[in-house]
Amino acid sequence: MKSCTLHISGMHCASCKILLEDILAEQPGVNKTTVNEKTETVLLETDGQKSPQELAQMLTNAVQQHGYALSEEKRTLEKKEDDTLWKALPLGIFFLVLFFILQKSGVLDLGIGGKTTPSTAFLIGLIASVSSCLAVVGGLVLSLSAEVSQEKGSPTKNIILFHGGRLFSFAFLGGVLGAMGKAVGINFSFTAILGLIASTVMIFLGLHLLGILKKNKITLPSGMFQFFKKVQHKTLTPLLLGFGTFFLPCGFTQSMQIAALGSGSFFAGFFIMLSFAIGTLPMLSLLSFGSASFAHSPYAPLFFKSAGVVVVGLGLFALLAGLSGLGILPPLFTL
Amino acid sequence: MNKIYSLTLTVLLLIPLAFLLFFEKQPEDTPPPQSSSSLSSVSSSAVSSNVEMKNGVQYIYIDAKGGYSPKKTVAKAGMPTKLVMKTNGTYDCSASFVLPSLNFQKILQQTGEEVIDLGTPTAGQPLDGLCGMGMYNFEVVFQ
Repeated sequence: MKSCTLHISGMHCASCKILLEDILAEQPGVNKTTVNEKTETVLLETDGQKSPQELAQMLTNAVQQHGYALSEEKRTLEKKEDDTLWKALPLGIFFLVLFFILQKSGVLDLGIGGKTTPSTAFLIGLIASVSSCLAVVGGLVLSLSAEVSQEKGSPTKNIILFHGGRLFSFAFLGGVLGAMGKAVGINFSFTAILGLIASTVMIFLGLHLLGILKKNKITLPSGMFQFFKKVQHKTLTPLLLGFGTFFLPCGFTQSMQIAALGSGSFFAGFFIMLSFAIGTLPMLSLLSFGSASFAHSPYAPLFFKSAGVVVVGLGLFALLAGLSGLGILPPLFTL
Repeated sequence: MNKIYSLTLTVLLLIPLAFLLFFEKQPEDTPPPQSSSSLSSVSSSAVSSNVEMKNGVQYIYIDAKGGYSPKKTVAKAGMPTKLVMKTNGTYDCSASFVLPSLNFQKILQQTGEEVIDLGTPTAGQPLDGLCGMGMYNFEVVFQ
């Protein structure tokens, strides 16, 4: 039995401690690991067959896909990482500009008249997925997928569960609205407050993707994180998140909900909302599977940082717009 | 890419972004604001073209589709006023319509007209209309 201390670079939160301890303990020849997140070191108890240098090399290989590196000497922050942020900042803002040009161009104000049928609902879904609704739903999908893609394991299952939950909730709740008819009203303030929560989450996730939260060490306590980690790895969580998107504020979704209400039967409402959700699927899966496929490419840091800029931008936009929608702020935006 | 270059590019991109979000093309049909008009007698020419008098009631017409138009309306204060929101195949956010000052919230019909009673507006209290998510808005000024 031999113990040795290695320095860790790339740590940013209490969650890293748990992730690192999990991975390092699985490595051959390592008996016990204790990560100290304050000093960014790890105390290892090993079988003593490897020199600290070999050990650092072997363990770095195991954790570098998560963005960590272990070394005997304390490493100063890599310059390369800073460079990425400076590339990502204008790139992310460039995408934001493109997005708002698209909104302002009027291309999306297609006239779809007459009665809402499943086929028009599908078209409206296609439009909605590139509209200002994307600010909330798309931003949330992008930031969540980017977060899960950065973790270990395959994000595909979670992403499929999320989209499955979304399709199911739209179809089922659309059916419920159709069956209930005009009896219920959808509460604006409820969806608006949900939107505010979603945009706040987006801003935090975006800052996390940017690595800005890392510097200030604004993190959850370890115990609370353990709880979130447990919840996060439950199959139900992405399913429920997908389910929740039914209630997120989006004018298109709300119009479809009204159309489902007026449709008169469970199945009419079911198919209207289902086709609408299917219409939004291509764009949203592009966002989620796109970020998953970037996760292991050499462009991963640039992608996640640019995504962070976009998500923070959209989150701020949705938050401020939502506050004026509630009458708390005067109207700000003129799209 | 170095820092200075990146920041310059960022600022250059922020300018069109701010322009997209906060500035509006000046609509042609809005009369110039009349700062000198007295409150008691407003000439009818000061009222925007989307305002109509019928049987002593002032009707303000706003189109709701991909935003609201006109963005700015000048109407008369001190007379019974109704706001008519016109939709025509409107599925976007402008259908979820909010008047924060009146606590009015409604998802407008996809195609049709929604008449909202504004009571008798007083001068100098503009009315803001928004979509539920807050990205589209319009303003009615009463003089």
